[in-house]
Amino acid sequence: MSMHRTRPRTLAVVSAGALAAALAGCSTPAASSPGVTDDTIVVGTHTPLTGPAAAGYSSISKAVAAYFAYLNDQGGIHGRDIEYVVKDDGYNPATTQTVVRELVQEDQVFAVLNGLGTPTHGSVLDYLNENEVPDLFPASGALLWDDPEAYPWTFAYNVDYTTEAKALAQYALDEGGDDAVFCVLGQDDDYGTDFVAGLETVLGADGLAVAETYAVSDQDVTAQIGAMQAAGCTHNFLATVNGFTARAVGTAAKMSYPAQWLASSSGGDYPTLVGYLGADVAPVLLEGFVSANYLPFSPDSEWVALFQQVNEEYNDGEPFTGNTVYGMSVAYTFAQALAAAGENPTRESLVEALESGDVTGNGLMPLAFSADSHRSFDGVGITVVADGVQDYVGTAYTTDSGDGAVEPYDGEAPAPEGGGVPAT
Amino acid sequence: MDRFLFLVGTGVARGTVTALFALSLVLIWRAARIVNFAAGAMAVVTAYVAVGVAHATGGWWWGALAGVVAGGLLGWLVERGVMRFATTPLGGVILAIGLVMVLQSALGILVGPQYVPVAPPVSDRPWTVAGVPLGSPYDVLTVAVALGLMLGLRLLFTRTTLGLQLRASAFAPEVSRLLGVRVARMRTVAWVLASAVAALAALLLLPTELGLNPHATDVLFVLAFTVAVVGGLDSPGGALVAGLGVGVLMSLVTGYLGASATPIAVLALLVVVLLVRPQGLVAGVEARRA
Repeated sequence: MSMHRTRPRTLAVVSAGALAAALAGCSTPAASSPGVTDDTIVVGTHTPLTGPAAAGYSSISKAVAAYFAYLNDQGGIHGRDIEYVVKDDGYNPATTQTVVRELVQEDQVFAVLNGLGTPTHGSVLDYLNENEVPDLFPASGALLWDDPEAYPWTFAYNVDYTTEAKALAQYALDEGGDDAVFCVLGQDDDYGTDFVAGLETVLGADGLAVAETYAVSDQDVTAQIGAMQAAGCTHNFLATVNGFTARAVGTAAKMSYPAQWLASSSGGDYPTLVGYLGADVAPVLLEGFVSANYLPFSPDSEWVALFQQVNEEYNDGEPFTGNTVYGMSVAYTFAQALAAAGENPTRESLVEALESGDVTGNGLMPLAFSADSHRSFDGVGITVVADGVQDYVGTAYTTDSGDGAVEPYDGEAPAPEGGGVPAT
Repeated sequence: MDRFLFLVGTGVARGTVTALFALSLVLIWRAARIVNFAAGAMAVVTAYVAVGVAHATGGWWWGALAGVVAGGLLGWLVERGVMRFATTPLGGVILAIGLVMVLQSALGILVGPQYVPVAPPVSDRPWTVAGVPLGSPYDVLTVAVALGLMLGLRLLFTRTTLGLQLRASAFAPEVSRLLGVRVARMRTVAWVLASAVAALAALLLLPTELGLNPHATDVLFVLAFTVAVVGGLDSPGGALVAGLGVGVLMSLVTGYLGASATPIAVLALLVVVLLVRPQGLVAGVEARRA
């Protein structure tokens, strides 16, 4: 019993000491944040490198690391090299908590960058914000990351699923014709629910004839696609990860069921889908496949040329997919934020730089961060697969993640300056 | 009614593969009283061999043959190299789980986490019967292979000396040994048979999935384990009946209630069977249970 009584006191003493130390740290002028030395900046991430989720995502952190290696060879940011510590969490939230604590407490990272997954990253959201660690660009389109009041240190990167769904629904309405029957296949978690909410905002509460779901543990989606076929669905929206997009399209083809597919960017990457379906049949099955995107991946984009070159030189020429573009874009955007955070960056100055609006990123439209919004991009562009090439068709929409209107967007995308090395 | 038929048809095809895999678990259980928790990982290793050979020779059937041979070899290796050191049932389980980690990590290092698409050897486009997509040539192949194998194994166990020795050493190892049956060798034979069957089941599964990946059989193993327990760990016939039942149940639940309810339905079935008939639906003789 006495053990129990003394423990809180010991804790109190320890935390008082820690507080004193922290206060002392604050009072020292020009004190640098953890992870920053004269010639390096350490940032970390958690991502699945092993386990079932690794197949879809392990290439992202490699692309980020490759782009940082490229930047470091160009002299780094403010003369500092960026070190990227990648921790494997196997897509298990319990492991995520362990490895993120390691990153913050042992590796002393300056910021956590692009932590992957909604359930995984969601489990460390409070921890990172309580410890005032910048939590930049989680790899997930959940709405959770844009809440500056509750989570001032967290900044989103992916366009949220609701916004994507609204844009895709608007496109389907504009192009679909009068006989269109709209249906959806969604993952049975927040990805699917956020996406369906977005669709219903645009199509109306009864705008979806069939709403099917799948669980990631499912072996196939035959029952779901069968229901869509039986209901005569002509336009099928997909809130699916790439593997299940491939299954849905492949299953429909097997059942001789032609439909117009419209997939979220999280499940609409053509090179990845070709990997699943096979290079021989994929171009046929995916002809006319519609998806949303917000990053540069047109074959003639200057960004893509640069990323391909970096991929060859710094990433052993790994397959060039949407994950490669995504990872390198995240790396570039972080570098831009770091450049804007000043010659002696602190965690506070990094957040200020992002909220100032100076960090524009390399997307289809400039990043929209401000002090009261940590939402990344305001909208998406529509992409279509034609003759085995996925590209933007020149239609883009902006909207919010609530019930606001969907507006066409025709601004210019920023081109890379200075070889993709942010000016300091 | 159309929808019901369609869902049942889908379930039968999927259930057959699960039944075949469950059969491999039953074979090992009968011979060694061990639930082979490494069955999924072992089958994935042999599937890589099979797909490698199929790509190299351009023939699915060569790949299947190579996979079955590799399955047998791996079964022998695992039994001789690892499992014979298991002296208690729990020890066997833990050894098997360790083996899963080793095999899956080794595969991850050697071949990476990417999916390799696997094309079916015959068309997987379903025939349309009265407007309902119902069964493809590939489904027929799967069912034929499964039924053929079960029949073959049944003949082996009931009509051959080897089968008699296998049954005897599982039933009464001490007595069998006294009568001159090489019990340890029989156990090895059972492992070889079981892993060859599992290799074939995994191969039949792959074209219906995304393709080959170090985790391609994870779900199959969990389902097959459920099927084996529901059917009665001792009973090959039970594995078939339960496999088809679980396959159809999953398809119906997914179709009528939604995908999220499917795992719950399977677990509920397992719980009910364990409560009402713990020996399994098709029970073996009481005295033969471990």
